[in-house]
Amino acid sequence: MRALVIDDSRAMRRIVGTILTGFGYEVREAGDGRLALDVLEEGYVPDLCCIDWNMPVMDGLQFVMAVRANPAYRQVTLMMVTTESETGQIVKALAAGAHEYLIKPFTADALRDKLALLGLLPEEVSA
Amino acid sequence: MTLQEAQPITTLLDTRTVQSIADEVWPSLVGDGEAFVPVPVPPPGDVVSAWVDIIGPWTGSVVVTCAPATAEALTESVLMTRPPTVVDAEDVADALGELANVLGGNIKSVLPGESRLGLPQMGVAPPHGRLDDVRSLVGQWRGNFLTITVQGAAPAPHAERDEVPL
Repeated sequence: MRALVIDDSRAMRRIVGTILTGFGYEVREAGDGRLALDVLEEGYVPDLCCIDWNMPVMDGLQFVMAVRANPAYRQVTLMMVTTESETGQIVKALAAGAHEYLIKPFTADALRDKLALLGLLPEEVSA
Repeated sequence: MTLQEAQPITTLLDTRTVQSIADEVWPSLVGDGEAFVPVPVPPPGDVVSAWVDIIGPWTGSVVVTCAPATAEALTESVLMTRPPTVVDAEDVADALGELANVLGGNIKSVLPGESRLGLPQMGVAPPHGRLDDVRSLVGQWRGNFLTITVQGAAPAPHAERDEVPL
């Protein structure tokens, strides 16, 4: 499975990427929503995008809306991974087309649980 | 409502809440078994700060301050680097900024009303407003001085000039 981790923090990209790699994912990274769209347009269409909310250039919500506006990316599962934890923000992200929402700080187990809910946990990990 | 009329952070947020947020953030971001310990140690001569702004019914910043060497060690812990890999200034700004960002996001979530979080910044901490609008936790990480400060914004310099004298 393939994942794209989108966060302006290199540290957070590394943390999320390391966990996903441990679950057997092939991982690519992008520093903001615009760079992430560039990755998709290059032809790297992942199974999962982990998306921070607050980023320069193009934020996570704008990225979700841009992806959902393009039918070519309808198979991509979008998960917000962010410190934005108010109900209003969560509702806004889900209404825009995000499938799941993980609040920072999180543990590897919390990420694993979300992937299991989404059916995106490789069998050898969930076993 | 002006900054002067807004409820100060000391009435909105207690020390225990800030500490409980730090208790969640440290193991998740800094590493397993890591903790911010609220036992003060003497401050170093030189410090660096990273912060995020919160803009809403309460406006201010969440600031993390420590010695440059502590910031470097925190970065190595966050990035899980091992010698001979060395972290550079960009790594330090990124890791300390993300620490402030995650703390700030969780502190924002317990404040009343809808607020916006700014992007992390690093340097000399911004000036704060009135003294009763500052909630500071002075403590340590691995025995090194570190503070988490939630501070109200200083009023804009032109605000008083606009006032009509009575």
